[in-house]
Amino acid sequence: MASRVRESGWNNSLDNFESVSKSLSPDQRFAAEKEFSVVLVSTVREAVGNALGRNVLEILTSKGLLDDASNSKEFDRKLELLFGNGAAVLERIVVKDLNRKLGIRYDSEASFDYEKSLETARETCFMESRLK
Amino acid sequence: MSGSEILSTLLGSEVRGDLLVLFHRNPGLIDTVDGVARRIGRTTVAIISEVRELLVLGVLRQKRIGASEVVFLDRAKDRELLESVANHLKTIRIGEER
Repeated sequence: MASRVRESGWNNSLDNFESVSKSLSPDQRFAAEKEFSVVLVSTVREAVGNALGRNVLEILTSKGLLDDASNSKEFDRKLELLFGNGAAVLERIVVKDLNRKLGIRYDSEASFDYEKSLETARETCFMESRLK
Repeated sequence: MSGSEILSTLLGSEVRGDLLVLFHRNPGLIDTVDGVARRIGRTTVAIISEVRELLVLGVLRQKRIGASEVVFLDRAKDRELLESVANHLKTIRIGEER
């Protein structure tokens, strides 16, 4: 896992993501997607477990919340149904943990977009794969 | 207080989320509000009202040790509150229940 600290500047990251993604072979892309999914699901589990305890985590798992955690729109939708306004707080906890694991700087004062934050994290995972 | 209201209070702000994670990761933690603020990378001013909300809810408690007021997790109350939250979440359908 990366230990470098990066700025999570979003403006360039979509372009970077496209070019990084294209430069990977299908096998590398598949491995990077899989690696990202594993990191994300484990981070979501830790974040929800740490914030609301194991019982709540088990209930959310049984409701399929973690079945497709890489699909940020679907995850966001389910989280909002369950937690209402609290969903944004949980998403921030997830992104903060994820960024820490990937060495991306997190700024709690900056405006927050869960989907964009996940794209930045995914791009970082892809970069890591290209460097391997 | 209903499970839904407890949930709204627990996740009422990002700082409260950070406080929950801190105390759940370190359930034996006893520290001043200043110390707690430093641990989550914030200022005392930024967390004082959030700590107060959690004290009112009962998930945190306060006591005096020497010259210092310290806060700590009330584990029994925390378990009780999270059980109410879990029971509340059980009743919500998100479409893909097993």
